[in-house]
Amino acid sequence: MNWVTICDEQALPSKRGIAAWVAGKAVAIFHLGDAGIYAIDNVDPATGVSVLSRGLLCEFENELFVASPLHKQHYSLTTGRCLENETLSVDTYEIKRQSGKILARLLA
Amino acid sequence: MRVDKPKLVIVGNGMVGHHFVEQLCEQQLNRHYDVTVFGAESLPAYDRVQLSKYFESSSADSLMLATQADYAAQGVVLHLGQQVNNIDQHKKQLTVNGETVLYDTLVLATGSFPFVPPIKGNDRRDCLVYRTIDDLEAIEQAATTAKSGVVIGGGLLGLEAANALSALGLDTHVVEFAPQLMSVQLNDRGGELLKQKIEALGLGVHLSKATQEIVDGERAQHRLNFSDGSWLETDMIVFSAGIRPQDALARASDISIGERGGIVIDDCCRTSAKDVYAIGECALWQQQIFGLVAPGYQMAKVAVSQIAKHLLDNSIVSPTTEALRFTGADMSTKLKLLGVDVASIGASRGFDNAQYVELSDVQAGVYKKLWLDETGEYLRGAVLVGNVDEYPNLLSQYLSGDALEEPAVTLLMADDSAPLALKDNAIVCSCHQVTKADIVEQVVAGNHQLAEIKSCTKAASGCGGCAAVVQQIIDETMQAQGLETESGICCHFDYDRQALFHLCQVENINDFEQLYQLHAKNGSSELALGCDICKPVAASIFATLENEYVLNENHVALQDSNDAYLGNLQKDGSYSVVPRVAGGEITPDKLIAMGQIAKRYDLYTKITGGQRIDMFGAALSDLPAIWSELIAEGFETGHAYGKSLRTVKSCVGNTWCRYGVQDSVGLAIALENRYKGLRSPHKIKFAVSGCTRECAEAQSKDIGVIATEKGWNLFVCGNGGMRPRHGDLFATDLSTEQLVSYIDRILMFYSKTAARLQRTSVWLESLAGGLEYLQSVVIENSLGLADELESQMHKVAANYQCEWKTSLQDDVFLQRFSEFINPKDAPLIDTKQYQYQRSQKFPISSEVETFSAVNHKLSTLGDIAITQLDEEEALV
Repeated sequence: MNWVTICDEQALPSKRGIAAWVAGKAVAIFHLGDAGIYAIDNVDPATGVSVLSRGLLCEFENELFVASPLHKQHYSLTTGRCLENETLSVDTYEIKRQSGKILARLLA
Repeated sequence: MRVDKPKLVIVGNGMVGHHFVEQLCEQQLNRHYDVTVFGAESLPAYDRVQLSKYFESSSADSLMLATQADYAAQGVVLHLGQQVNNIDQHKKQLTVNGETVLYDTLVLATGSFPFVPPIKGNDRRDCLVYRTIDDLEAIEQAATTAKSGVVIGGGLLGLEAANALSALGLDTHVVEFAPQLMSVQLNDRGGELLKQKIEALGLGVHLSKATQEIVDGERAQHRLNFSDGSWLETDMIVFSAGIRPQDALARASDISIGERGGIVIDDCCRTSAKDVYAIGECALWQQQIFGLVAPGYQMAKVAVSQIAKHLLDNSIVSPTTEALRFTGADMSTKLKLLGVDVASIGASRGFDNAQYVELSDVQAGVYKKLWLDETGEYLRGAVLVGNVDEYPNLLSQYLSGDALEEPAVTLLMADDSAPLALKDNAIVCSCHQVTKADIVEQVVAGNHQLAEIKSCTKAASGCGGCAAVVQQIIDETMQAQGLETESGICCHFDYDRQALFHLCQVENINDFEQLYQLHAKNGSSELALGCDICKPVAASIFATLENEYVLNENHVALQDSNDAYLGNLQKDGSYSVVPRVAGGEITPDKLIAMGQIAKRYDLYTKITGGQRIDMFGAALSDLPAIWSELIAEGFETGHAYGKSLRTVKSCVGNTWCRYGVQDSVGLAIALENRYKGLRSPHKIKFAVSGCTRECAEAQSKDIGVIATEKGWNLFVCGNGGMRPRHGDLFATDLSTEQLVSYIDRILMFYSKTAARLQRTSVWLESLAGGLEYLQSVVIENSLGLADELESQMHKVAANYQCEWKTSLQDDVFLQRFSEFINPKDAPLIDTKQYQYQRSQKFPISSEVETFSAVNHKLSTLGDIAITQLDEEEALV
């Protein structure tokens, strides 16, 4: 899969999420300043609703998670695993900055 | 072939009879017996120990231990208002209202009756007793015309009765035959101090008075003539000169009775008749009648275990319990009489050759005396008046039977900071005979909340006096297990919500990063991210302290997802919109405006339980437009998304209603507007009723106000929801100013001290000291916090803003409502789709049923057919 340009870097809000379209799929992007920018599927696999960008960010034992705003399952921003239910997971995306733009592609 | 189950009949549905049934069901013996209960009173079992509480609300509701439905749910048949007339112990049958009832096993729990001394004139008008709710109703009735009242009997119950009369506003006097009050429990000096304290409250105490006759008074209805020639006039009289076992039924049926009354029982609670048990105040064990509830509960337990053993012997049921024996009971008590703390332990009146330690502080109003055996090594009894802090320690020492390790006088120098050293077998809750070991076992099993321990061990669910000790045992046990006691709210902070609140207030912390760097468990961290538990708690604390705009840049990332978008997230990712409709009062114009807006944005509308209108199915990107239209029509946010005040429900009140006595709508609107900005540990609901008919259902709300002729009655900490709780009557006949200042204090105290997401109902139950403690903090200002709490609430009210109004002027905020940061890359199809049912929209993923069994199908053909049939019938 190729890199897709999403938006200007400065358009991303800090320490919280925003949704974006990447190749026909809704993706949640989280900008954590120096700690990096992360992207995962926006659709909560527990409910099938596109809301993960609106969840609260969490840190547990040095791993970053987002809590689904619907039923509060936690999904890892780095691996996509669900903390509460190992049968659930989301896809994660690779992010890079390039001349002030944010680009994303699905992690193989 | 169906085999009939054996029949178990219980006569009496007082506290002990009820406890017997509870124990029986707990052991699941109700599966093996047909259980029938006969109660002589018209109400099912209620809490006689707390009887005087009846006058606080003039209702028996808060005293009830069970309902008829509870009994039915257990398969137990309860007949109320039924007097059992006769027992035939040979045929094993009873006569009730002329009908014959068979039994295999019979339990007598007939209780006792008040002793009325044989004084001439004791049957005059308004000469009453104090034992049942019927008695209380009679007392209340008599008090409506009386100015003064006398209680004859200065024992424990007599003083309770005096408390009741005094609470009814009567000029109250206590007349006692003995030279001191509470002569069973206290010694002379303890009794003297109690007398002084009661007199200081404005009650008359008359000792060493033998009443000879009651005759017409000159200035009041009655005159009591005493044997020493003196007299006292009064309008009503309550006899409380002791109790007598209610043994008439057993006596008439040739069951063995003691010389001075009481049904004789052995250690197994068996009477002289085969398969007949007796328990509670009607039973005589080793020449003793036990007039307290705790020994009665022990007897109930013993009887149940004996019946279980009987079943086991017939191998019907596998062993779940060993057969217990009644071995006497400890009569130690701790109570508050007319606001005075009194306790007695063991041989509280001393004995021959006893040694003692005595402390008497007239200035402080404290008297304490310990009785030791002749060697001075063993504690045998104690009297405490005015301050009973040492009671749990002393009781534990007394019950252990161990020799004192230090000089006895150190027992009276309780060190508050030292942990309570209770032995495993120490009885913590004497109402239900719960030991420390019982509680520890449940804590180890994972029950860490006081409320859980209350329900699984019953500890602290009787008089509640041991709640603080139970909490302490929970904490100690959890610490011993290496568990974090309740303190840490999440893996980032070791503090509970109350401690965090305190830190933020004292150190002026108003920023999550600062809070994290200073106080997080693992020290500071560059990221300081926290989690979905600690961030919203911090946001709520900052909001309670400062009431700043909740979405300013510092706080927006902390807010729970509902607060972050100022809307309630629904299952399909859309939001609901709830404007404030204070008190449920709305003009037709506003109603029309709301309808037009809902129609324009195609919103599903529903009227909520809180008397306002909820509009569902708003897309994230439509929220700003919807709100700007609502604000233009004069609406403001309803905070339905926040942990904050929701609504103040009201009935229509005296402005329209024929029965209303105050303007409940006006007050509801004022209260809603005062508290609407308050962020609290959980959501808060209010209601105001305009009269005692209570149409606003105020008693099920966190704050409930009911109008009276003289002002407002305030109820607190009620709850609907999953675990309903009736509100407690907090104060009566308040002026509007008083009412508001009490609510200010209560809500701010709750906001400061409650645990995360703790509703007021659970909070109150978790407060050691419960309602009385809250009253002392709020009404008597016992912590000296009243001014601070009020000024804090003034600040919150003064800093109120409509968050939507502020947000609509904030471009950064508005950007967040574009669903995607790159909308032009979006696929063309709308992912959200709706179905239409009952003329409104619903998410496609919802099953909307029309319940045809309830609704008549609108079938045109069917309608015609029916019409034709009707006509044919008419023609015939």
